[in-house]
Amino acid sequence: MDPMAAIRDTFFQECEEQLSELESGLMRMEGGETDQETVNAVFRAVHSVKGGAGAFGLEDLVRFAHVFETALDQVRAGKLDASANAVRLLLRASDALADLVRCARDGATPDEAQTTSLAAALKALTNGGPTDDGHAEDDEDDGLGDLTFLPLPVAVEAETTRPTGWIIKFRPLADLYGNANEAALLLREVSGLGPVSVTVDTSSLPDFADLDPEGAYLKWTITLQSDCDEQAIRSAFEFVEDDCELLISRASDQADEASLPQPGVDEGGAGSAETIRSPVPIMAANATASSDIPTDADVLAMIRKAQQSVSQPDHDQPAARSRQGAPPAVDGTSSKSDGGSAVGATIRVDLDRVDRLIDLVGELVINEAMLTQRVMEAGLARASGVAAALDELEHLTREIQDSVMAIRAQPVRSVFQRMPRLVREVAAMTGKQVRLLTDGEGTEVDKTVIERIADPLTHMIRNAIDHGLEPTDARLAAGKPEEGVVKLTALHRSGRIVIEVADDGAGINRERVKAKAIERGLIAPEAQLSDEETDNLIFLPGFSTASTVSDISGRGVGMDVVRRSVQSLGGRISIASRPGAGSTFTLSLPLTLAVLDGMVVSVAGHTLIVPLSAIIETLQPQAANVHTLGTDVRVVAMRGRYIPLVDVSMALGYRDAPLEADKSVALLVEGEGGIRAVLIVDAIQGQRQVVIKSLEANYRAVPGIAAATVMGDGRVALILDVDAIVSVTRTEILRGDALRAEPFLLQAS
Amino acid sequence: MPLANTLTILVVDDQQTIRSLARMALEQWGVGEILEAADGEEALKVILTHKTPIHLIISDYNMPNMNGLSLLRAVRAHGPISKTAFIMLTGRADKQMVLSAVEHGVNNYLVKPFTPESLREKIEAVIGALK
Repeated sequence: MDPMAAIRDTFFQECEEQLSELESGLMRMEGGETDQETVNAVFRAVHSVKGGAGAFGLEDLVRFAHVFETALDQVRAGKLDASANAVRLLLRASDALADLVRCARDGATPDEAQTTSLAAALKALTNGGPTDDGHAEDDEDDGLGDLTFLPLPVAVEAETTRPTGWIIKFRPLADLYGNANEAALLLREVSGLGPVSVTVDTSSLPDFADLDPEGAYLKWTITLQSDCDEQAIRSAFEFVEDDCELLISRASDQADEASLPQPGVDEGGAGSAETIRSPVPIMAANATASSDIPTDADVLAMIRKAQQSVSQPDHDQPAARSRQGAPPAVDGTSSKSDGGSAVGATIRVDLDRVDRLIDLVGELVINEAMLTQRVMEAGLARASGVAAALDELEHLTREIQDSVMAIRAQPVRSVFQRMPRLVREVAAMTGKQVRLLTDGEGTEVDKTVIERIADPLTHMIRNAIDHGLEPTDARLAAGKPEEGVVKLTALHRSGRIVIEVADDGAGINRERVKAKAIERGLIAPEAQLSDEETDNLIFLPGFSTASTVSDISGRGVGMDVVRRSVQSLGGRISIASRPGAGSTFTLSLPLTLAVLDGMVVSVAGHTLIVPLSAIIETLQPQAANVHTLGTDVRVVAMRGRYIPLVDVSMALGYRDAPLEADKSVALLVEGEGGIRAVLIVDAIQGQRQVVIKSLEANYRAVPGIAAATVMGDGRVALILDVDAIVSVTRTEILRGDALRAEPFLLQAS
Repeated sequence: MPLANTLTILVVDDQQTIRSLARMALEQWGVGEILEAADGEEALKVILTHKTPIHLIISDYNMPNMNGLSLLRAVRAHGPISKTAFIMLTGRADKQMVLSAVEHGVNNYLVKPFTPESLREKIEAVIGALK
């Protein structure tokens, strides 16, 4: 890539970091944190965007950033009060700045009207402060014309008078080799005097055919950084002095014709790399720092001293906040120097490499399982040394797997960070006042999960503001604060990540939901549903309660689409709502998409996996508890409730007739939305962690099957899609003719 | 008259973009060694631990952790490196900032965004023409 283009890419990457820093800083200010550190971080973000933009001639961006920066400068200087209104304007300006950056990056045309009006508002805010654009300011006389800076010859003279050492030209004659001397050993000897840089001249090397094996063809130039005297060097060559050409001169004498090469820089010809290989490691070993190099402790002490002694808090940042705040992440864009000098705590790795590693570890897990199985089949005792070693192997394999998965894990922060802007926009469109609270941004989850929850989450937040929160007057009438609250929370719960979107609005209007569901033919008119079941109707395809399709949530996406995208991630979504107090949507997602803890079951001679996370309990159904409703719907009575029964062998088409209930094993499972069903299988084989292999990618999507895996014995087992199976049952029950007479099926009767 | 390729220059800026731009310009003139640091603290560590002397520090002013002025003061206060040439980078010609930097012994300043030419001009003003 053209270096300029690469720097440009870096610039836009850094802009994203700065923009998110800007936004989070402004939001802290919105929350009342107007301390110098926060304000300065906000200022610096805009300032940096402007500085970089200038280098690439992005005029629009520079102009707007300049006005923005001016306003922030006034806040920083205490000339402008960071009132709620002012901060709100600054937040809008940060959105506009983000738009301008992205337009500049993608070559799109920015929304000029928005930029202009915001720039005007910012200028008005700064009380008719500087109204010029960035360029006028840059060009104007800075008033420093009378400052004279004296050149500083001192520093560089120090360099030239520093005893930088010697240049040694060394050309062995054939006799040198004839007398059993070795050039490499001599070079090594010299390197003992100080750091050296060696180049070899291979220009007199003849073609191979003409090469005299006892001849001497190579010349070396050695740059020695040492203040030793010439005699010390000569003594290194003492025994070969007559068998070589040796020229020793001060490095500074030759500075004009042969400048001092940096140690370690290979400036030799084609053959040099090979020839100097042996001296190089020695050179590195000898190139130790001189004794007056301070220790880390000295450096830290100095830094501390320097920071304490700076008397201008105005321009200083006492705490290392931004450093500590940055989490290590695989593709996190740490802005640390990439120069050899700085020590980075993170490395960037191509995602493909990580995925390849994950694949391999998956294979390892399968292999380990196969090995265990073989060993067991071979009849080795559980207590044998082999079995113990296998246990250890299994333990290690699991640990490797967890560690590799952790590489892909990222905090949900990156998704959460997009939401404040969304909330501002939707709030502005709906004319509602909304405060977004977030919690648990540091919760980590697989990168793919993060990428794929952004859309559903966006939709849920839009819904929460548009449909969840009441209009301001309704809120006031209900005795609630004017400002609605939407809370976004992420947390880990029993091996899954749970994301909640809660609002303090009116809650689900169940009467309306039911009426709509009946109108759409989603439920029977006489259906009696619990509150929870009613609430969950909103996830059904074809359901939408908004009587007018609004701009905001009515983009052709209903909650059913949200549910489907969550399901495709192996996740579940549910809702809890209290009239007058608000609704909470809960997403429960797997931490990783690559492995799964499963129950291994047999069904009509096939091996299937049921995700353990879906299983509540296993039981042995009694024939007496199984009832048939209508023609083919069976339910089982469990603790006073009727739960629909699904014969897995029939659902997947393995058998035509159902298995006798008492000759089978039943698994009580829970699908998304808390819908339960009892799955009938032939037998349970055991429980194990399996590596998920996509069926869609390797074969094609099969209804009722989520994925496949390879078992320890090398056979392929299908992983059951519990949610799909349960929801089929549910739809059948809700719509099925058989249930019209007994609609109150899911409740105890 | 220093040879460009004998020079060791440290570029300090929290923006990788700016460091890369400076590095590109310096490389074009054949500057021998170019070091980078993302803030004053990192810069100090580099200066104090680098094997050979650093001849020139080009540092941004407004950086997190330890800003350019603190870096300048630290350098000037530390005997062995106190004579190191120092050019301050600034986003705007902020007179107050430049004045306080001058007070602490800055050798020159440069307004961002800079061109390779303006950078060279400042460097030559500080340490003499590059060859």
